[in-house]
Amino acid sequence: MALVSIHGVSFTYAYSEQPALRDVSLQLEEGLLYGVIGTNASGKTTLCSLIRGLIPLFHPGTLTGKVEIRGRNLLDWDPAHLARAIGCVFENPFTQISGIKDTVFEEIAFGLENIGVPREEMITRVLGVVERLGLQSLIKKNPNELSGGQRQKVAFAAIVAMEADFIVIDEPTSQLDPEASDAVFGIIGDLRKQGKSIVLVEHKIDLMAQHADRIIVMKDGKVIGEGPTGDILTSEIMDVADVPRPEVTDLALALKGTAKALPTLPITRAQAFDAISPRLSG
Amino acid sequence: MQQDATKERAEFDREFVDAFRRPVSQGNWVRDINPLIAFLVLGCLAIIPIWIEGLIAPLAMCAAFVAISLLAGVGRHFIPGYLKLFLAVGLILFVLRAAFEPGDLVLFRLGPLSPTWEGVQSGARFALVVMVLCGALTLYAALIPAKYLMLALEQQGLTPRATYVLLTSFQAITDLAKNVRVVMDAQKSRGIETEGSILTRSKAFFPIIAPAFLAAMNQTEERAVALDARAFSSKAPHTRLVSLRGPRPWEFGLLLVAVAGVVVSIMGAYLSWP
Repeated sequence: MALVSIHGVSFTYAYSEQPALRDVSLQLEEGLLYGVIGTNASGKTTLCSLIRGLIPLFHPGTLTGKVEIRGRNLLDWDPAHLARAIGCVFENPFTQISGIKDTVFEEIAFGLENIGVPREEMITRVLGVVERLGLQSLIKKNPNELSGGQRQKVAFAAIVAMEADFIVIDEPTSQLDPEASDAVFGIIGDLRKQGKSIVLVEHKIDLMAQHADRIIVMKDGKVIGEGPTGDILTSEIMDVADVPRPEVTDLALALKGTAKALPTLPITRAQAFDAISPRLSG
Repeated sequence: MQQDATKERAEFDREFVDAFRRPVSQGNWVRDINPLIAFLVLGCLAIIPIWIEGLIAPLAMCAAFVAISLLAGVGRHFIPGYLKLFLAVGLILFVLRAAFEPGDLVLFRLGPLSPTWEGVQSGARFALVVMVLCGALTLYAALIPAKYLMLALEQQGLTPRATYVLLTSFQAITDLAKNVRVVMDAQKSRGIETEGSILTRSKAFFPIIAPAFLAAMNQTEERAVALDARAFSSKAPHTRLVSLRGPRPWEFGLLLVAVAGVVVSIMGAYLSWP
């Protein structure tokens, strides 16, 4: 059974004239990390909201087509069950804080309180995620007084602590510095190794190349490509979508047809290093 | 690398984390009274002076509130605020009542006003009784954080949804003030005068308030989505990281005494009726 099946879905937000999604069909499998890429306003966040069930529950509009989550029609899911089944991290860090907790520690535990996790397990889980994300210095701070980047990390930590099998993550590093972005992607990599299913929207294409199993490319509300990360990032779809390739891929493409062309098209630095190192040692 | 990891682990404030394993304590026996018992006791104290004639009972209760705040270690926060309330609210109530209450013994005449001795007495009592009610509320807010009251109410069966609405209502005041400051700065940068005379400020009122309210409404929708992401709508029984100590026997004794005080004062008032 597919994790998510989307058949011919179009969606237009209420009070909007243009559809945000146009005739989207996708099939997502369990245990994989799907990267969603595309320019601004290409429909990435709307796709996430659809998969997470926020459309049409929270974002009213005209929805056509069929969406199934784990074989069950999206509209048949109890929203409370869906919230437990699919974790979700949003782009805007300023509205992801509950607003009623006095410390970051309590904020991260808030989701666990809602799903009835016993206190001792709650403390263990929060400590674990705090340590993994390096939030030790923040745990006593008031979440309402954190910077955007700090809030983004706290919101991410809160969702990771809930240990959902399937997580939708919309630009988790948009306000983070490179070090913090690496920490977040380190955790995303761990989650993937644990067999969690992840849909990740991210503009940092080098990190995406490193972590995603498959890539979904969007443009003007349409899915214009979906496939293994290596195939997609080296294909011409990237030019059509107007999304930059990883730097190493661009470099390899620039060398293509010259005497110094690389034997393969790398998408990560590690692959590029492997391709170049025989020349360095020779 | 290993050393770094060990160092980071050591940075955890263990005492802070361990505190969640115990019932919450504010480090003072008065402030550690169960929030509902404290609410009921202060409520009783607030209404006792209503039933007792004269100025002594409300004056004594105001003094009692100050004493309680000192015992609870919140005097520095409570007393200045309470004094400001006396000056801002109490004084106005007293003056209005004293100036307009009719009576036989006119103290002096000032234009159309002719304050009377009866008016002064009635104004003083009215102002003091109101200050007792205000004092009880202010003291309670100083003693018990709203989140502990909500936790206690949840333990009594109030839904998490209801307590969330109440808590966010308090938070909304802070958030709105922040929004107003941000909008004010933004409008200043666009050349709108936000400081100066009352007229200048009045002109800037709508350009500031309208965007602030619109932003707040927009954030409400996004926050609802964020709450859904935290499974707030989950039908499973919610657990709590913070736990409250159950009321101790002496706290029930305290409540009993306060209730007895109300009963006695009401009976006294009833028996003294002509």
